Amino acid sequence: MAPRSIWNGTLSFGLVRVPIKLFSAIEPKGIGFREVHVKDDSPLQHRRICRADGKEVERDEIAKGYEVADGEFLILDPEEIKAAGGDRGKTIEIEEFVDVAEIDPFLFDKTYYMGVRDHAEPYAVVAEALRQSGKAGVGRFTFHNREYLVAVRAQEGRLALHTLRFADEIVAGEDFELVTKKGKAPTKKEVTMARKLISGLTEEFDPGEYQDQYRAAVMDLIEKKAEGKKAPKKRRKKRKKTDDLSDALEKSLAAQGG
Amino acid sequence: MPRPLWKGTVSFGLVSVPVELWSAIRDQTIRFREVHVTDGSPVKHVKFCAAEGKPVDPSEVGRAYEVEKGKLIPVTDEELEDLAPEKTQTIEIESFVAREEVDPIRFDHPYYMVPGNDSVGTLRAYKLLVEAMTEGDLLAMGTFVMRSREYLAAIRVRGQALALSTMHFPAEIRSPDAVPGPEEEADREAVKDAVAIIEELSTDWDPDSYRDQYRARLKKVIDSKRKGRKVKAPTAREEKPTAAPDLMAALKETLANSKRRRRKPRDLSLLSKEQLYELASERGLKGRSSMTKQQLIKALKK
Repeated sequence: MAPRSIWNGTLSFGLVRVPIKLFSAIEPKGIGFREVHVKDDSPLQHRRICRADGKEVERDEIAKGYEVADGEFLILDPEEIKAAGGDRGKTIEIEEFVDVAEIDPFLFDKTYYMGVRDHAEPYAVVAEALRQSGKAGVGRFTFHNREYLVAVRAQEGRLALHTLRFADEIVAGEDFELVTKKGKAPTKKEVTMARKLISGLTEEFDPGEYQDQYRAAVMDLIEKKAEGKKAPKKRRKKRKKTDDLSDALEKSLAAQGG
Repeated sequence: MPRPLWKGTVSFGLVSVPVELWSAIRDQTIRFREVHVTDGSPVKHVKFCAAEGKPVDPSEVGRAYEVEKGKLIPVTDEELEDLAPEKTQTIEIESFVAREEVDPIRFDHPYYMVPGNDSVGTLRAYKLLVEAMTEGDLLAMGTFVMRSREYLAAIRVRGQALALSTMHFPAEIRSPDAVPGPEEEADREAVKDAVAIIEELSTDWDPDSYRDQYRARLKKVIDSKRKGRKVKAPTAREEKPTAAPDLMAALKETLANSKRRRRKPRDLSLLSKEQLYELASERGLKGRSSMTKQQLIKALKK
């Protein structure tokens, strides 16, 4: 089934305008559990209760508030929040181009596909040019009154748009004390053995081999329970443990070789 | 108090390292609360039992799956854990792949894997993984279960830490073919010009040069309102007509413009005041030290 577009607009760089439609590239396959009251297994309802009078509040009596001081809220109208979205309108403006490989994986947030809207010629040219150059166009895009930094690149004959996180939204690993804590370093020999183990396990990336097996197991469990059967119990395997790093590496390498 | 989102071990061959997963995101979002307009008081979300009509204590909240309308099958945390006990406790590295082979579309949430304790053995094994993986741009692939969901994970070295990105399972990623694409091949001449424009406008990736303007503007809106000023949404710029423009002409002109603009900095409004000041120093602009950001942009544009 063809997915529905979520946004219509124009991708632009310089004087070139590409009319596009935006589609979500990801279809989450999570299991939609509902919350229930464990006592009687009846579903839960979420109600909004006013902290001041303890009564339920209707949706149309709710506004967005920004806490300016403890317990003191400044109410913003939708119009005011819209003002922060900028005046970009329905244009995705590309400002420059970068190598996709240089972008830290941590910065990729959501991905959308762009589809052809109205006429295909500029779309075809831009998609092909991005494919040949292997670059991503970086620009800005306003969606639901919120502005995003985006990277646009070619993806199998289509254009893909990634929203990007800003650098200041990412924590440094060194901010965790135990990451930088000084300790006894592994020996050269251990590092060499570990690298050998890695190269033995290095393979071509094959996305097809990854499946959410757990999801299938959960659905299976639910079916069994629905039929009135008991949940199957699995025994936990005890892992062999060794505190000797060199010994563990040697045994792992031996296992790999055999 | 921030807490780790998962605790367990990462295993690699027979080497296993106790680790904790922490989100790598520092939430910078300006948060709004739901407020009751009549009295300005915040609203809280309370869970009510549909049958009793009474509020339910968080400790009495369970999970159920609706197999058909009105038929709920309760599932306990223990049952879910029993389905894959190893995976709820261990991330087993199954293979290593080159990072360049993995499409960025697959990356989901960023985490850090932090040593689970400060024992000599743990820290040493952690450092071994970091050091062994530093060479080559590799991703260690594995799966694990967190909060009743299985995740595909890619682990790599970032600085001195192990970084873990959860990834979308292939079944969750739509094929690009599902969206309408061009049916005819692009004109070669036009593609050549477009590639030339891309080359002209190419730059090194510098994530620090991008600021969240939305966040900045939202702060401004809040400040203005606090001072009692009215804030109005700007009118969106007129969209230029897109109906059958002369693509070749647009490409040629853009190419000429980008060649002219090459040595000039990119969109100045994207730079911070410090960066603008630096540019002004390079150009030897007079009076720069007393200029505001807007004045700097104006002066640099000349």
